[in-house]
Amino acid sequence: MEFKQQVAIKVTVNGADIRAAVAPEESLLDFLRKQCGVTDVKCGCGMGECGTCTLVLAGKVVKSCLVLAAQADGREVWTLQGLERDPLAARLQDSFARHGAVQCGFCTPGMLIAARGFLQRSPQPTRAEIREALSGNLCRCTGYQKIVDAVWAVAYGDAAEQERA
Amino acid sequence: MTKYRYVAPATVDEGLEILRQGGGKVRIAAGCTNLLPDMRAKELADCVLMDISGLGELRGVDADGGSIRIGALTTIDEMLHSPLLEQEAVALWRACRQFADPLVRNRATVGGNLANGSPAADSAVPLLALDASATVASRAAGKREVPLCELWRGPYQTAIAADELITAITFPRDAARRSWFIKNGLRRAMAISLITVATAVKQDGCVVTGARVALGAVGPTPLRARRTEEYLQGRAIDAATLAEAAEIVRGEISPISDLRASKEYRTHLAGVLLRRALEAVRA
Ligand SMILES: Cc1cc2nc3c(=O)[nH]c(=O)nc-3n(C[C@H](O)[C@H](O)[C@H](O)COP(=O)(O)OP(=O)(O)OC[C@H]3O[C@@H](n4cnc5c(N)ncnc54)[C@H](O)[C@@H]3O)c2cc1C
Ligand code: FES
Ligand code: FES
Repeated sequence: MEFKQQVAIKVTVNGADIRAAVAPEESLLDFLRKQCGVTDVKCGCGMGECGTCTLVLAGKVVKSCLVLAAQADGREVWTLQGLERDPLAARLQDSFARHGAVQCGFCTPGMLIAARGFLQRSPQPTRAEIREALSGNLCRCTGYQKIVDAVWAVAYGDAAEQERA
Repeated sequence: MTKYRYVAPATVDEGLEILRQGGGKVRIAAGCTNLLPDMRAKELADCVLMDISGLGELRGVDADGGSIRIGALTTIDEMLHSPLLEQEAVALWRACRQFADPLVRNRATVGGNLANGSPAADSAVPLLALDASATVASRAAGKREVPLCELWRGPYQTAIAADELITAITFPRDAARRSWFIKNGLRRAMAISLITVATAVKQDGCVVTGARVALGAVGPTPLRARRTEEYLQGRAIDAATLAEAAEIVRGEISPISDLRASKEYRTHLAGVLLRRALEAVRA
């Protein structure tokens, strides 16, 4: 068995096939930002705590600073950029804007990806479930209330939202 | 230039051969939720990262005969979505619900959680209470079963040798057993546990015929509270028993003071949470 200093990988990033060589310890986050120019995945902490680096890897929502780039070999990666034509992502994006759930915007791509993954699995959540689903994504600005409102509105529509208010 | 090397075995056998050849220089990489932050904090010496994340044979939850087997690479999220665990291993299932956050749960594996050796590892305590063992494999010694109560030697120190790999966790099935888990942290999500308690109890009518009690983050390793277990044997879980059990468990632990809580507070809390975890399994 060969112990490699450089790992050749083939990854599909937002629909495009990419071949590259990565260092053994390189995170998927660093690889995407430095080698692929995919900068909507943000590095807030690099330690798995803030969720700004959230993306979809092989169908699962994960924090990309906790994944080795080499572990993405042969897999599909989707970041918010690549989800432009995804209807659920678009509705969430629109709802975040309408509810003022975006201030500085640093947490927003990760927040949207996490919210999308959650609504796909639980289309009719309670507010507590929305909070729990987004508990791995930190926001310094909004106080979370508006983010929860925005996700709620996508699940139940604006009528339900007015009823609640 | 990087001080790390990388290898991804295609089978467990190949992985064991690499561990044998590596002579202590090989570091297993599973979900990497501990490993990558450790590397970033520059705590790791140069090593070969052996990526086992592609080994599908180490994944999954199933019941065979009298026991439940969980592959070492099974993620916390996969355990949380296992109806078998939800029904038959409530303590473990509850621990998965409170483990980190949903995104970390998609990567973190049970094998990595146990092998990392944190005294606060959330899967450790319910699995101890369920009387689980780790199946550990190596080229030199083949397979051996390590009861979890013998797995940890100290904070972040385990009985797993450098050439060994955890392949699975197993514990006996028991329809009559009721189990529970309580985690106390500072924040709901992502806080390292201040203290965790798990109980697994069998009762005949209301008399305890077998009890296991495990605690986390109250000593150098996750631990079983043997004296408390002995005390519970043959008793009904009533107010007097609860009060006495809480006192006994406080004498069995040795928590530390740190910036998250004092020793006194943790000791007090251990008794309170034990009472709650016993009330939850009372017949
Ligand atoms: C933000 C955040 C929150 C967290 N919250 C919690 C929490 O609430 N509760 C909790 O318990 N933990 C928590 N953790 C810690 C971590 O997620 C868990 O310990 C996780 O289960 C580790 O599994 P892994 O597969 O990611 O391990 P890795 O990081 O891949 O490996 C961890 C260690 O175990 C070894 N190892 C891995 N698999 C095996 C195997 N099969 N055989 C032998 N050795 C092996 C590795 O070599 C390494 O030393 C958190 C981590 C982060 C970043
Ligand atoms: S950068 Fe990945 S969680 Fe903070
Ligand atoms: S909007 Fe600024 S961090 Fe969330």
